[in-house]
Amino acid sequence: MPQTEINSPVTGTVWKIERTIGDRVEEGDVIMILESMKMEIPIEATTAGTLQAISVEHQDSVNEDQLLCVVTS
Amino acid sequence: MSDSSTASTITADEIQDEVFPELAFRQAESKKMGGAQAIARQHAAGRMTIRERIEKLVDSNSFREIGTLAGTGSYDENNALVSVTPAPYVAGLAKIDGRPVALGGEDFTVRGGTTFGSSRRKGGQGGFIEDLAFHYRIPLVNLIDGAGGSVTSLKRRGHSVFPGVHGFERSVELLGQVPVVSAVLGTAAGGPAGRAILSHFSVMVNQSSQIFAAGPPVVKRSLGQVIDKNDLGGAKVAVDTAGTIHNCAASEADAIDQMRRFLSYMPSNVWELPPVVENTDPVDRCDPLLAGIVPEKRTQAYNMLRLVRLVCDKDSCFEIQPTYGKSVITLLARLGGRPVGIIANNPMVYGGAMDVHSARKQIHFMELCDTFHIPLVFFVDVPGFMVGLKAEQEGTLREGMRAVCVAGKLRVPTITVVIRKCYGMAGMATCNKNDIDLKLAWPSAEWGSLPVEGGVAAAFRKEIMSAPDPAVREKEIEAQLKPFASPYRTAEAFAVEEIIDPRQTRPVLCEFIALAEQRLRADLGLKPRYGVQP
Repeated sequence: MPQTEINSPVTGTVWKIERTIGDRVEEGDVIMILESMKMEIPIEATTAGTLQAISVEHQDSVNEDQLLCVVTS
Repeated sequence: MSDSSTASTITADEIQDEVFPELAFRQAESKKMGGAQAIARQHAAGRMTIRERIEKLVDSNSFREIGTLAGTGSYDENNALVSVTPAPYVAGLAKIDGRPVALGGEDFTVRGGTTFGSSRRKGGQGGFIEDLAFHYRIPLVNLIDGAGGSVTSLKRRGHSVFPGVHGFERSVELLGQVPVVSAVLGTAAGGPAGRAILSHFSVMVNQSSQIFAAGPPVVKRSLGQVIDKNDLGGAKVAVDTAGTIHNCAASEADAIDQMRRFLSYMPSNVWELPPVVENTDPVDRCDPLLAGIVPEKRTQAYNMLRLVRLVCDKDSCFEIQPTYGKSVITLLARLGGRPVGIIANNPMVYGGAMDVHSARKQIHFMELCDTFHIPLVFFVDVPGFMVGLKAEQEGTLREGMRAVCVAGKLRVPTITVVIRKCYGMAGMATCNKNDIDLKLAWPSAEWGSLPVEGGVAAAFRKEIMSAPDPAVREKEIEAQLKPFASPYRTAEAFAVEEIIDPRQTRPVLCEFIALAEQRLRADLGLKPRYGVQP
């Protein structure tokens, strides 16, 4: 099964995690929201599938390109 | 003409080898490249041979090779030919989507693609293939798989060569006249690496290609750094971090597809208009999703790439440098079948603030479109230049002003659509206010020298600080000024040409891009050289 890794586009903090591991997601669904430069950045599923892993927690600091979650399709 | 003259003619495929046996033998030797073992090694490394690459790239049966017989012959004691080691470069003329191109590439199976010391170069800087592209005004395709010169040539020549004897003059000249595309399909250093940069579009293959000024052995000797060639010049560094190469491809086949795709938007030269294709996507299509795509809350980001795709012809978008300078999106697309260059700020990445990388990316893309007479459409959501110590150290202000400078000199029709924020000097890099270039805005638009929030604190500092409750006073002043920031007030003053319903974006753009054709036609040809850029 192909795994799609979703990385952070920015350096910032995890503001809200909207979905949980095992959830079915469609392409474009918001999985979590980051906060950076006073902006809310929705992290969307780039493919449809099952949310296999979430590698960050609420209020974590994240770096640009850091792995956020994995979708298995 | 009489029928009898055609009755005896044959096609190229029917030519029999036995009439000119030496020619046939030499042609066959050339096709063997570096021999079965070397070809097997090339395949084992997951790479195609140069002949396979050309076959994959060009329209079927369109390759007309030039310099087939160049190489090193070996003769017996009676001076009879025994074998020929072909020159490590395969070149010629071919067609891509029915249009002629000049193309060539190193044959890595012959001495690792290093030069072979002929009196006339087949390819590379100053080579025959560059001249072919130049004189016939057709695109040049470089299939790069070599590390350039080798010190072994010292011994052969008996002297060293002054840098620039085989210079980049022609490569540089080509950049203003015909599209140049390069794929890095192996490890590139030296001249071949330089040519990859002197291209309008370059692509490299993930894991199997690397590019650098100098490879690991030189780095180790010079700096004592021990580093793997992929860590030094793989796509992660060369594409994502440095922007040395524009796009990364998953495979050689993908790299070749990307080059074909890029060329599909380009005219053959600067004296022709870019090619218009048949379009099945209605030009008056108003996508209802556009009405709700910008969140009401102004601190919420949204997917700009999706927005752009909803506006452009279906499946027409081809992103250039998708992994570099990500706060701006640059892509080639079509509106009503006509090529356009799209520059869109990306609110997902630092709110769309312009940093040194996105400025550099935008500059390249603007110059590309301006050179080849491809109209530009800006989708604007930019809060300004990136701020902070890192941004200042990187020279964001200088590179950002260079973007403003290049935008100010654009000659192609430029349409600006303000989606949300358009602030400050970075906002000035999103339009060309010369002539009649159109500025459109969505109702969600806001603009100014700087946002009311934040701007108030600086401009009314004395008044705020002397108030009994400074925070309350700041909010009061903000509330007083906010109505003046409405885009409708600017439209009242005709300081923005039109505010449109977001759903109307495609019909309006399609109409103006179709209209642009006569203006583009009147401006065909070479672009004048300008003075000093900041």
